[in-house]
Amino acid sequence: MDSLVAKYSNSASTSFDTEDSLNNNSGGWDAASQFALPSFDIPLVANPVDFLRAHTDPSAENRIRIQHGTTTLAFKFQGGIVVAVDSRASGGSYIASQTVKKVIEINPYLLGTMAGGAADCQYWERELGRRCRLYELRNKERISVAAASKILSNMVYDYKGMGLSMGTMITGWDKTGPQLFYVDSDGSRLRGEKFSVGSGSTFAYGVLDTGYDYNLSVPDAIELGRRAIYHATHRDAYSGGSINIFHVKESGWSFEGNYDVGALHWEYQALPKGPIA
Amino acid sequence: MFSTYPGQAVIDHPVSAPIEHRFDPYVDNGGTLLSIAGNDFCVVAADTRQSEGYSINSRYVPKSVKLSDKTVISMGGCYADCLTLTKRIQQSMEWYHHAHGKVMSTAAVAQMLSIMLYQKRFFPFYSWCILGGLDEEGKGAVYTYDPVGSYERETCRCAGSASSLIQPFLDNQINFKNQESRQRTLTKDEVLRITKDSFTSATERDIYTGDYLEIFVITNTGVEVQKIDLKKD
Amino acid sequence: MSIMEYNGGAVVAMVGKNCVAIACDKRLGVQAMTISTEFKKTFQVTPKTYIGLPGLATDVQTLAEKFRFKVNMYKLREEREIEPKTLAHLVSSTLYERRFGPWFVEPVIAGLDKENRPFICSTDLIGCINFAKDFVVSGTTSNQLFGMCESLWEPDLEPEELFETISQSLMNAVDRDCLSGWGAEVTVITPDKIITRTLRTRQD
Repeated sequence: MDSLVAKYSNSASTSFDTEDSLNNNSGGWDAASQFALPSFDIPLVANPVDFLRAHTDPSAENRIRIQHGTTTLAFKFQGGIVVAVDSRASGGSYIASQTVKKVIEINPYLLGTMAGGAADCQYWERELGRRCRLYELRNKERISVAAASKILSNMVYDYKGMGLSMGTMITGWDKTGPQLFYVDSDGSRLRGEKFSVGSGSTFAYGVLDTGYDYNLSVPDAIELGRRAIYHATHRDAYSGGSINIFHVKESGWSFEGNYDVGALHWEYQALPKGPIA
Repeated sequence: MFSTYPGQAVIDHPVSAPIEHRFDPYVDNGGTLLSIAGNDFCVVAADTRQSEGYSINSRYVPKSVKLSDKTVISMGGCYADCLTLTKRIQQSMEWYHHAHGKVMSTAAVAQMLSIMLYQKRFFPFYSWCILGGLDEEGKGAVYTYDPVGSYERETCRCAGSASSLIQPFLDNQINFKNQESRQRTLTKDEVLRITKDSFTSATERDIYTGDYLEIFVITNTGVEVQKIDLKKD
Repeated sequence: MSIMEYNGGAVVAMVGKNCVAIACDKRLGVQAMTISTEFKKTFQVTPKTYIGLPGLATDVQTLAEKFRFKVNMYKLREEREIEPKTLAHLVSSTLYERRFGPWFVEPVIAGLDKENRPFICSTDLIGCINFAKDFVVSGTTSNQLFGMCESLWEPDLEPEELFETISQSLMNAVDRDCLSGWGAEVTVITPDKIITRTLRTRQD
């Protein structure tokens, strides 16, 4: 940790605005540095991690609220991968937004999902997109999902313990077929068939595990994803808004619709109920 | 230890307990801001009160700044951070102008601001930003941010101390939530009326909101500014 | 996390022309998880008085019974219905009895007195009464409700207009609160009838 602090203690915040540090205004670095990690300003205190924690803690006086709360899911099946997410962002118990885009379109073949800190997911998955593009230009072929997810995992691992918060799924279709990875800010990177991430994930898993079958047709798989997120939004206070669904197939991903949970609930209520198959 | 009050007893005792020194560079200066996007216009409004705790520092400190003929930024939170951030945006926009020979578009400013905020991920700017303006097609655009740079384009948004009072009202009156059958597009005058109503209401219940309301109206003919009285109690 | 936010919930009351309205959401949660969507927080106390009890659910139920008992005792002793204003003071003193270990409930009272004049008030959790002439709000959604009511409410609303105003206020307020919503119940009290309606709201 001390080495990390030392590494960043020479950043823009320590010196007055010289021409050099002013260049940092547009992101702290330019594209020429390609694979270097962007530089972040660090407060000049003995322990910057404690500083950040003290000011983002729920009990802090002037709290800097960072948006949270989510249900996201993705699963593999015979037709590829279905990705479904809710769209609520909350700061404390206040609903900051009901229209967040929690599926991040990294490029036409890669999708990332967003759970945890909204800014962390947006920023790092955008950065991942840039790196994947550079890979394509250098190697004249698309990056594999495994490699892409590992780039993300390694990038955020460099900041482990500094307060980043993200739980994401990276999905896509590469030479080896459909791929699904779970990556989080603790440094975990897992390959899997079926994941759900966020405060409402337990509810989503319940529905997903009940209705899942590898041989599901595409419309049925999409409906299962939608249903799982719907049930999570119903029971989890910090999930809601509308459901966004994506389908990953060989030709890349496609958007499969946005469904407002407000209306969807009554549609499901009107359907006849039956025993679980 | 000494006292400036004559006759006051001064107890001078040795300090043995360790003194806690905490670096606390943030202060909440209150204030409320909102932005609403229309078909061919955008409204950015903010009150002008600046407070610290229960005191009012000033009744007229504008929170919004015109960045170009098509873009206005409004910020609330820690005023010092907001000032710095505004300066950095303006400077980068000027350099962009020199480098590329054109004015930065609203969408470009929006993405840049996100990165600027995230650059201070571990030492955040305590600021709530709303960027209002017109997009490349001349349509109203509102971009909203959290303090560390997550951003989203919306049609309307309120931020700052009275955001939780005004936002549900905007959901109801601008986005027609819970009255979907009345859905229609609003005119500039209607939007301005709702904006003013929002702030007069918020002024009644939020102590950090009041004094004056400054409204920026962005259309393809440029930016117009209005100043309206709010209650000063 | 505050104990007042453990279960979630919102209550609002409004004055109209010769009528009052009181409304509540129907969620009962345990922090993030929604347990019930049929947990009403308003209770009829007399033919023309309602009390709303948002806060910690266990105390909501206990106090609802406690007030029922106290109001019945009042009725037996006095041989008349309790006036809303009297009820407000009964609630206040009941809460203040527990000054140093309070009930975690912030009640709202709405009713018509014996001359059919509208009365509303709210108290804090230790019984400080707030008499208002327009509207009172309480619960986890109070900020949002203040904003909505302050913008939508106007004097001398007829019962139907009052119903629309309080419904819109509550629905749009709880739609910006994670811990409230999942249905709502509105009661309009007029001199000759009581109208109770259940609102169909978002279920997320």
